Amino acid sequence: MCATCGCDGDVHEHEHDHEHGKVVKLEADLLAKNDHLAGHNRAWLREHHVVALNFVSSPGSGKTTLLERTIRDVGKELGLGVIEGDQATTRDADRIRAAGARAVQVNTGTGCHLDAHMVAHALQKLEPERGSMVVIENVGNLVCPALFDLGERAKVAVVSVTEGDDKPLKYPHMFRASSLMLVNKIDLLPYVSFDVAACVANAREVNPSLRVMEISATRGDGLDAFYGWLREVRT
Amino acid sequence: MHELGIVQEMIEIVSTKSGGAKVKRIVLEIGKNTCVLPDAIRFAFHLASEETVADGATLEIVETSGEELRLKEMEVG
Repeated sequence: MCATCGCDGDVHEHEHDHEHGKVVKLEADLLAKNDHLAGHNRAWLREHHVVALNFVSSPGSGKTTLLERTIRDVGKELGLGVIEGDQATTRDADRIRAAGARAVQVNTGTGCHLDAHMVAHALQKLEPERGSMVVIENVGNLVCPALFDLGERAKVAVVSVTEGDDKPLKYPHMFRASSLMLVNKIDLLPYVSFDVAACVANAREVNPSLRVMEISATRGDGLDAFYGWLREVRT
Repeated sequence: MHELGIVQEMIEIVSTKSGGAKVKRIVLEIGKNTCVLPDAIRFAFHLASEETVADGATLEIVETSGEELRLKEMEVG
């Protein structure tokens, strides 16, 4: 029925414009495509007995340095392979290979995060062995990567003491989505005003069940506990 | 940045569902916990809808409290 004149539309010529169109219900989840692909990745990983972790942080928190050290210390034992996400260059993948692990670089171009589709392709290229572990080093960004499931078993958020200890409050989505928070660069604590206890309290405020470890990827503090967690999450 | 990808997905869905008919209005629900910015969505929509069935369509954004990111309905014709 025409809302303007009340007619059924066939009876007479309409002089007024029919502004109203047909309303189509859609109810479409806009992340459904990514979630669906992430589900495929998860199934593929399970089938191949591979555990994937998604490492997220701001740029410069020390993710790549931590991975280099981890590869040197326990890379063989855990069968570590790495998917490196950056907007440009293969610098990080080169560093990972030099440390002795297989790596696939994904360049997102203008994109601010990795999505499940990119990771699906990277997994095919990486060909992780049965029983191995894949670390996905996401694009340095505490916002968008929280939104995109990649098929990982857990997210690991890395913060460094050269950042603010209120980061978990300012970027709550990422810390809520993570299972473990690594507070990195604690060897620099004497030179900065970062309050570890405050940072941990802030993180637990947004995610009460978050595991926390204080580490220094360069000096080695806390890494045994971190490696223990990797072994634990693998089983 | 991720808003552009979301808008492209949205335009893909309305293009398919409208069967080529012009889309006049789109209703999108965005939850506060999604880290998706309504203003960035509007800006991206303005750019990405050019020369598509959604060119010139009104974009209505309903802001909700949860984690919804849902294309609710569209008006075609």
